[in-house]
Amino acid sequence: MSTYKGPHILGIYPTIDELISGIRELKKAKKRSFTVISPVPHHDIEHELHPKPSPVRMFTLLGGLFGFALGWALTYYATESYPLIVGGKPLFSIPPYGIIAYILTILFGALATIAGLFLNARLPDFVIKDAYDERLSSDHFAIQYYGDESELDAVGELLKNTGAIDSQKMVVNVSKKEQFVD
Amino acid sequence: MPSSYNLTYTKTDTELLNTLQAPSKGYWIALSILVIGLLIGAYGWGTQIFYGMGMSGKNNPVGWALYITTFVFWVGIAHSGTLISAILFLFRVRWRAPVYRSAEAVTVFALCVAGLFPLIHLGRPWVFYWMLPVPQMGEMFPNFKSPLVWDLFAVFTYLTVSSTFFLLGMMPDVAILRDKFKGLRKKIYGILALGWRGTDQQWRHYTAAYVFLAALATPLVISVHSIVSWDFAMSVVPGWHDTIFAPYFVAGAIHSGLAMVLILLIPMRKWFNLQAYVTDHHLASLAKLMIFTAFVVGFAYAVEFFIAWYGGDIYKGDVFLWRAFGPYWWGFWGLFLFNFMMPMLFWWHNYRTNTFWLLFVSIGVSIGMWLERFVIIVTSLSHEYNPFGWGFHKLTMTEVYIIIGSFSLFFFLFMVFAKVLPVVSNWEVKETMEPPRKGKLT
Repeated sequence: MSTYKGPHILGIYPTIDELISGIRELKKAKKRSFTVISPVPHHDIEHELHPKPSPVRMFTLLGGLFGFALGWALTYYATESYPLIVGGKPLFSIPPYGIIAYILTILFGALATIAGLFLNARLPDFVIKDAYDERLSSDHFAIQYYGDESELDAVGELLKNTGAIDSQKMVVNVSKKEQFVD
Repeated sequence: MPSSYNLTYTKTDTELLNTLQAPSKGYWIALSILVIGLLIGAYGWGTQIFYGMGMSGKNNPVGWALYITTFVFWVGIAHSGTLISAILFLFRVRWRAPVYRSAEAVTVFALCVAGLFPLIHLGRPWVFYWMLPVPQMGEMFPNFKSPLVWDLFAVFTYLTVSSTFFLLGMMPDVAILRDKFKGLRKKIYGILALGWRGTDQQWRHYTAAYVFLAALATPLVISVHSIVSWDFAMSVVPGWHDTIFAPYFVAGAIHSGLAMVLILLIPMRKWFNLQAYVTDHHLASLAKLMIFTAFVVGFAYAVEFFIAWYGGDIYKGDVFLWRAFGPYWWGFWGLFLFNFMMPMLFWWHNYRTNTFWLLFVSIGVSIGMWLERFVIIVTSLSHEYNPFGWGFHKLTMTEVYIIIGSFSLFFFLFMVFAKVLPVVSNWEVKETMEPPRKGKLT
């Protein structure tokens, strides 16, 4: 799986305030095809980006429902395939079979949540092909702008003016680094 | 985070990554001792498989003995991890961030160890797949009305969900390791980080998945040990057939789990110099939780005894008198002392902020919780309805070897984990801090 989605430029910021001003300037310039990279999620960033609720919750719900149905189906099938009265209880006993259904609801709900995360967040992605900087997982922030090759220089200038200290331009998997500040 | 430590993003990275530096001589000595313990356990299990179940002390009437005692003990130990990582997360308890990773590791490793005991107890571990929910001869499935089958489902699900939660929580931290290290370690952490970059889209889905996993793990804290307790409560053995067993077991599980978290956290924060992250406040918060769980456990002991008298069942009443005044009196009074009396020391601020006393009481609670399961299992089976069938459990060295092996395996796994993965959640600790701001670079 590749994350390379076309030409882009990555502007790296040392502080969250400068990152926020970079986001605002991009929005003001009607340039919306960007993503923000940060070491931790932060409400200031969310406030600027207004993210939609993640569809992962639907995966959780569907996985849970599947597990619940599977629990009842498994116990029903087992009872039907070998009808044996145990402990004087009815052949199809709701309380004990409900426990199996309950546990499988949680198991499949959790597995589907992970599947939902991986599908939506495009993971795993063992080879990072987009521009990336090792400081970004630690204490720096970045804006990654996707667009035509021709507009990347202008966006790079905008990012620089809002406080970006470095940039990386990626065109057809070839990275070009530029240092704004020594 | 206490402001006196002046933690910043950069400082946090540096200090938490220091825990992964080359191990000291003391670490290797401790690890070697644990390996010897593991070999002792393997020898015990090996001789039992070779010579048969007669090597263990299990026999009529005590057919469930130390293996099931230790199984319940380890499943119980597992519970605090999920309590701290999932329930406290959902309640947005801020002191959870630095301690939850270790607690989660306790959950996963304790479940791995617990999972071995039903296999050891089986006697023929190579036919373990007979427990799985697949048809055996003539389309006959395992009995889904049996608590033992519920137990298999519950423990397997708990292991899967808690391992997933543990690994998922670590993904952004492993990405830091990938970005900080060079060479082979960079490659290994690169694979484990699964390509995490920390984009807003990734965080959006990640935080949603994290909340849902926490929400799914939360009922497991209650249900798994309830189901384990039904292994006993669903039978008609006097002393087991109690409706109070589920909440009683859950409270005991959390009680013992908190103790184990303290047993691991206190030496770890000293060895890794993590006082800025795992502060006295965190340890005291765990101690306060232990006061609460001690009261719940103490209440359960009192109710159990009261109902044994008030219920009017002569067999049950007799078992309870036998527990307190029979030959296993030491177990009964020991569990009361260790599980209820000792944590009461934490009412005093000096005790709950003193690492010696925290460790002392936690070790006491761990012993007490093991004794509790021993008393429930062994005293009930040794003193059932018919006096002709009464008898004792005879301890053998094979059982002792296997129990030594189980403790060694648990601590071995934790020590290896502490040296290859971050023991404190870096990204969640950072979340509790002010990010780098203009004019205040870190």
